[in-house]
Amino acid sequence: MPENNTSEKDRDNVIVDVKNLNFYYGSYHLLKNINLYFKKNSVCTLLGPSGCGKSTFLRTLNRMNDYTEGSKLTGEVLINGKNIYDRSVDVVELRRDIGMVFQNPNPFPKSIFDNVAFGLKIHGIKDKDFIVERVEKCLKYSALYDQVKDKLNKPALSLSGGQQQRLCIARAIATNPSILLMDEPTAYLDPISTSVILDLINSFKKYYTVIVASHNIQQAGRISDYSGFFLDGELIEFSEAGSFFTRPKDKRTEDFITSRY
Amino acid sequence: MEKTTDIRDDDEHMAAFPINRGYLKRKKIYNGIAALFAVIAFIIGSFPVFHIIYEAIAVGHQYLNWNFVSTLPTGFPIGAKGGMLNAIIGDVYLIVISSTLAIPLGIGTGLYLSLFGKKRTNGILRLLNELMLGIPSVVWGIVGFYIFSTNAGPGFHLGFSALAGGLTLGFIMTPIITLLTEQAVNHIPASYVEGALAMGATKWQATEAVIVKAAMGGIFIGILLGVMNIIGQTAPLLFTNYYNTGLPTGITGSGGAVGDMAMLIFIYIHEPSKILHYKAEAASVVLLLFILIIDLGLRLISYLTKRFIL
Repeated sequence: MPENNTSEKDRDNVIVDVKNLNFYYGSYHLLKNINLYFKKNSVCTLLGPSGCGKSTFLRTLNRMNDYTEGSKLTGEVLINGKNIYDRSVDVVELRRDIGMVFQNPNPFPKSIFDNVAFGLKIHGIKDKDFIVERVEKCLKYSALYDQVKDKLNKPALSLSGGQQQRLCIARAIATNPSILLMDEPTAYLDPISTSVILDLINSFKKYYTVIVASHNIQQAGRISDYSGFFLDGELIEFSEAGSFFTRPKDKRTEDFITSRY
Repeated sequence: MEKTTDIRDDDEHMAAFPINRGYLKRKKIYNGIAALFAVIAFIIGSFPVFHIIYEAIAVGHQYLNWNFVSTLPTGFPIGAKGGMLNAIIGDVYLIVISSTLAIPLGIGTGLYLSLFGKKRTNGILRLLNELMLGIPSVVWGIVGFYIFSTNAGPGFHLGFSALAGGLTLGFIMTPIITLLTEQAVNHIPASYVEGALAMGATKWQATEAVIVKAAMGGIFIGILLGVMNIIGQTAPLLFTNYYNTGLPTGITGSGGAVGDMAMLIFIYIHEPSKILHYKAEAASVVLLLFILIIDLGLRLISYLTKRFIL
């Protein structure tokens, strides 16, 4: 049974509550009985070596694994108290509320403006003024507006990697989600772009609950309120960042933090 | 963990790395052989094309003039005087009719296979599609005859007409477009589609968002191959349209048959007349030019859609 170190008494602001989550792909048991919860307006990082299941876990939170044929999931993921694997849940509506940013910057082969407007359009918003205003706002939030304001109609793929990733963030927040999932968002970026994105994440907790998968301990330390450590599909430890990074309870966490994996 | 070894510092290790100088020389020769093979294959493979072009121009050049493509055939045997306008117009009819059927049907089936179908049904559908690709064109002719042309039994009773011929050709074109559409959509980078799905897009919204940029090229190639294929068909037309030396008065019934370039060549070559043989050669040059124009036209459309629809 993985240890869950956040104090049980304070569960007021819980937004995501994961209970006994198991995930199988064919005969592989990828996630083993995960129990943890995330609080509103916090930044949580999930650490672990490659292949430990942190990305898979992140994708169970917005049901992106639904498309993986041959996968099976047991347990519950409660978001605002409602199990998202319940039959009555509309995946489209669920994902409007949970933005996701991927490891590879993956803007659409469209203009910068259309990339951000895409999320609004697919949810049926037609009011042009509203879209223009929203796109502008999202680009400002993601610290990209000043660099692209004169070329909003240029293709998004003409931007640099770091700018593309910020565009993807702008795109993800356009639908006004309450949770933002980030799957190693800085893995392919240079140190300066990385730093900009980390600052963004820090500023985002005012509006969103941010859950970041990462294998970079320094970066995680800079942004975390809570941190968890995954190893071979198990959640080894999950606690407040302060104690996680300075006084890890588990030997394996300590080994990872001191880079012994 | 403390002890790190750099293999560059390890003399023994480097000594144990045997450099095969013979192989280093041979690998350049292998490269040369591969290049030579490619060149020879290209020459042999493209020889027939150049031969056809040369032969057709050498024999048919005397008839290659504006008159040949702008007048209807006259004289005796028919075609001894005049041109081949009937066949050019007829091909336009056939291409328009067959494309109207095959493009929506082919693209629709391709999208179904790549986006919505279940794994098992997809396997069966794909097999059927490949089977359709393999059906000999003369069989399509007979199928078209029974479904569209003949006035006996159930069917559409369209007679030997452009509509019957065009629809039959459409069935030949459909599996080609299906195949290419499916492949084109399957090759859309997964990250694009995933990015859209994660925002709450439906599968169709996710595909539609990137299809113009990422898959339209492939779909256009499918349409192109389909059109090229049917321009060269004669067998399906034998039983559904045959041939008309004049211009059609409709697209169904007795006045509905159209001329066709491949059919014209087929018929002229069978006539015991030197003039018609020469004209058949000239007509094949016109057919090649016609294909070239369609090819360039479709490529231009493909380029423009990609360039200007962001």
